[in-house]
Amino acid sequence: MLLIALLAALQPPPAAPAQPPATPLPRPAKIEIAPAKPVMYAQDTLRLSARVLDAEGKVIPQATVRWMRAGGAFEGSVRQDGLVESGATGTIPVVAVATVQGYSPINQRIEVQMVAGPAARIALTAPPSRLVVGQRVRLDAAVFSAAGDKRAERAKWGSSSAAVASVTSDGLVQAKAPGRVTLTATAGQASTTHTVQVVANTIASLTLTPATTEARTGDVIRFQLAATDGAGRAIGGLTPTWSFSPGQGLIEQDGAFVGYEPGSYTVTASLGTRSVDAIVTLRRRDVRREAQVVGRLPRQLFTTEEVWLHPTKPIAYLGTGSGGDRMYAIDISNPASPVVTDSIVENTRRVNDIMTTPDGAYLVFTREGAADRKNGIVVASLADPLHPKKCGDFTEGVTSGVHSAFVYAQPKFGTHVYLTNDGTGAFHILDLADPCQPKQVAMWKTPRPEAGRTLHDVDVQDGIAYLSYWNDGLVILDVGNGVKGGSPSNPVLVSQYKYDLNDLYRQVEAAAGPGFIRGTHTAWRHKNYVFIADEVFPAGPVKGARDASAFRAYGRLQVIDISKVEEPRSVAFYEPEYGGVHNIWIAGDTLYMGAYNAGFRTFDISGELRGDLRAQEREMAHVNTADMNGNVKNAAMTWGVVVRDGLAYVNDMYNGLWIVRMEPKKSPPVTP
Amino acid sequence: MLHTAWGIASLALTTCVVASVAGAQAPATAPPPWPTKSYRVLVAAEAVDQIATIRLGPDGAKVEHTTPVGMMLADPDGPHGLAFSPDGQFYYVSTAHGTPYGWLWKFRAADDSYVGKVMLGNFPATLQLSPDSKFAYVVNFNLHGEMVPSDVSVVSTDDMTEIARIPTCAMPHGSRLSPDGRKHYSACMMGELLVEIDTRELGVSRHFLLTKGKERGMPGAPAAMSADAHAGHDMGGHGLEAPKAGDPSCSPTWAQPSADGATVWVACNKTSDLVEIDVASWTMRRRIPAGDGVYNLAVTRDGTKLIASNKRGQSVSVIDTKSGKELVRLPTLRKVVHGIAVSPDDRYAFVSVEGIGSQPGTVEIIDLVRLATLARVDVGPMAGGIDVAPAMEK
Repeated sequence: MLLIALLAALQPPPAAPAQPPATPLPRPAKIEIAPAKPVMYAQDTLRLSARVLDAEGKVIPQATVRWMRAGGAFEGSVRQDGLVESGATGTIPVVAVATVQGYSPINQRIEVQMVAGPAARIALTAPPSRLVVGQRVRLDAAVFSAAGDKRAERAKWGSSSAAVASVTSDGLVQAKAPGRVTLTATAGQASTTHTVQVVANTIASLTLTPATTEARTGDVIRFQLAATDGAGRAIGGLTPTWSFSPGQGLIEQDGAFVGYEPGSYTVTASLGTRSVDAIVTLRRRDVRREAQVVGRLPRQLFTTEEVWLHPTKPIAYLGTGSGGDRMYAIDISNPASPVVTDSIVENTRRVNDIMTTPDGAYLVFTREGAADRKNGIVVASLADPLHPKKCGDFTEGVTSGVHSAFVYAQPKFGTHVYLTNDGTGAFHILDLADPCQPKQVAMWKTPRPEAGRTLHDVDVQDGIAYLSYWNDGLVILDVGNGVKGGSPSNPVLVSQYKYDLNDLYRQVEAAAGPGFIRGTHTAWRHKNYVFIADEVFPAGPVKGARDASAFRAYGRLQVIDISKVEEPRSVAFYEPEYGGVHNIWIAGDTLYMGAYNAGFRTFDISGELRGDLRAQEREMAHVNTADMNGNVKNAAMTWGVVVRDGLAYVNDMYNGLWIVRMEPKKSPPVTP
Repeated sequence: MLHTAWGIASLALTTCVVASVAGAQAPATAPPPWPTKSYRVLVAAEAVDQIATIRLGPDGAKVEHTTPVGMMLADPDGPHGLAFSPDGQFYYVSTAHGTPYGWLWKFRAADDSYVGKVMLGNFPATLQLSPDSKFAYVVNFNLHGEMVPSDVSVVSTDDMTEIARIPTCAMPHGSRLSPDGRKHYSACMMGELLVEIDTRELGVSRHFLLTKGKERGMPGAPAAMSADAHAGHDMGGHGLEAPKAGDPSCSPTWAQPSADGATVWVACNKTSDLVEIDVASWTMRRRIPAGDGVYNLAVTRDGTKLIASNKRGQSVSVIDTKSGKELVRLPTLRKVVHGIAVSPDDRYAFVSVEGIGSQPGTVEIIDLVRLATLARVDVGPMAGGIDVAPAMEK
């Protein structure tokens, strides 16, 4: 306040209201922008200019033109003076606003195309360094700008010695004679070279193992190629060309094959004129089974939010939303007849997330939409777990709301709550040493501009936090594992897996326009994989639709291989034909999913995972959780699931709690 | 009518229609003198992402239907501000929550059909249309995170293009245009300031310090203050918590120009009074006592009455603009009194009340002639933005 007073004292006296000009200026009618079709390089700058014309086409020199971004909030910025600063490839709409004294402003919109900058780097994908005479391989070269944006252009290839190895401009190499050859890829000013040793084809035999395989659709079969000369000596360092037929499957350069359809496949490894085949016979994965609804607890007053189970007792806790101000405690000792035993009513309008401490002594739930706009988390004592009692809360710095909270204990560091901040996109860590008085010990944000930072969910396993960071993808932090020296009070970035959400969901934009909802929504670490699921909703309504069942979600589940945790790599995916991918739970080799309007689904995730999981027929069970008497009638909107002792406790936003048993796979009938 | 199938909404439609019929309550005394004309009122329920259409007419007051707004199913979009275009063709809704930015939505008034939307800043809140319906002015309240300077968005409504984002102060709040649309006034909840924007220059023209005992008008834009400068400020539970004894802070929550544009009243939520400012001289005329935690304001078109929602006082005051005297103070059924809209004929004031937790929101309908509450209509929880259609129906 003192600062304000001082500033006030330094200000000149009030100015008289501006007087209108003696001669009225012409009314502005049009803005001419130059360049008319602006194109710029990503992460470069471009200056726009404009002239303001009256109705007769005469320039109004007194006009003032201001510029601003009219979209593309995450792709770039526009300064008021017309300088466009690109942050990424894409399109940034810009508006020029002209003001002329005495008239309302007029504006003109224009789109600036931001394309990848000039070629600066060429990256080769696993090029072979040793070829045998007669071998043909295609080299894969990707062209990038200095900013790391991939360019559409193709590199042109040349060879230092066509007699040793020729190469077409597209990169198809043919090894012709023993020797060393340098192959050069060129794109604009960028070039790269790759040296290849061509050796005489002394291959006497090729062995591909396994030679014959019987497996199921979706099983990953890793092939190994061995070449020997006439003396039986191994010829090392050779890279075959892999292929297979028929075409329903995937083989990658490491020799990992997965087939999607039952039947026989011929997998071929080729080295020049020599090739060798292996036969793979796939039978159906055949994991589909029945599911039975064991119990129901319909909820109609509010939408239903998170479900959580007490770690040791048959008690469920259920959140409410859409004005819901309570969390229910539910006796599930008889799953066929769940009974609400108590509730906590709080200053909130959404209990979006619930989790207990590992010992079951306390419970944490999140608050959003408080009447006084002071949100955060609530801590409740579970001394009597059927009747939880609030014992504390935390609001400092998170008054905008907490969407997700994860409770995790580490012997070395104690128990902490890891939570998301709705307002700032920050990741907060609270110490629960005194459970009813949580104390913040750390706060972390993605190192990026404030704009567009959104943190949606947290999973912590083995001292590593897996953060679903919406626009920023999957972010992995060391919060006690030690791989990077992190701890709860000192989270340290390990790695990030970021992907192009706009490109991935371009069909959503095509269906319902730009500005749709999409982001990395949830993550679950299982073995050496992190399963991440995106939340995707169309930008607008289905025109003319009048029923809730016309609404749909979209989304993709990706399987990220973190065998090398600093180099996360997407290896497999599931994308529903219809519906979304919301929260997941993994127990054993089964992944359970709330798929929004696509209901409750389970998947077989046994073994190694590669490629399209849906195409491999890995889906095991499906229950449409629509209810004719639901909070929203006749529409499923399955949120998520918690699994315990063979029962799936499934929460549906529209329809309350479902308790589902997935039946064992029935043996096929014996044919005499 | 129901322009989309965003899941929750279709349920709310049924629920609200039923609830509203049952929930339209008249005070227990005389039978309510329902109007001979019909009034259409829209109110935004922030917690459930829906707009309720209320009809007040010869048959009473009820929710006719609800319209969903937003696109984030599992997260609240948070419709907050709401305004009809003066020509009555469209209405506009600001959704505050976003990821992280909010949006301004445009709907056709005739059938509630979705027309378009544009992304704005953090927590777009109060909005109003220019008299020619060509521009919408929306304060980016930026309630969340650090108290950094925010701004006012100006949107060209024909093509739903944001044409300006005018920096003002931290947490710009309740805002209104002068009757001629030349000036836009907004309150800086954390900065003790009233800010005046010249809508033709798209820039701040003047500002006014509102702290009790330090009132002073100044030219130009306020100096930008860092988040640290606001460190000692407290938003007081968004106007719900009582200030400390002797605190001279205004904590302004609304700026309301008079019907002739010569005066601006600012609601000081902490000191529970109004600062009356002479627009021409840009000086304070007087401070008018108001209800506890005065929050939002509206003025009748004839300029004679000022209606004020009292957030802590759980009441609505009607104040004589000339004398500054409170004509009546009417208690509301529920807590967290929010927005006010006055009917085009100045006969009724419609006041939204948020409610607490899962309570429904309420619209209190106040007869400005009888100075009494005519009826109450329940709507979705956290009722905030409210407006009356500019054209009445016979």
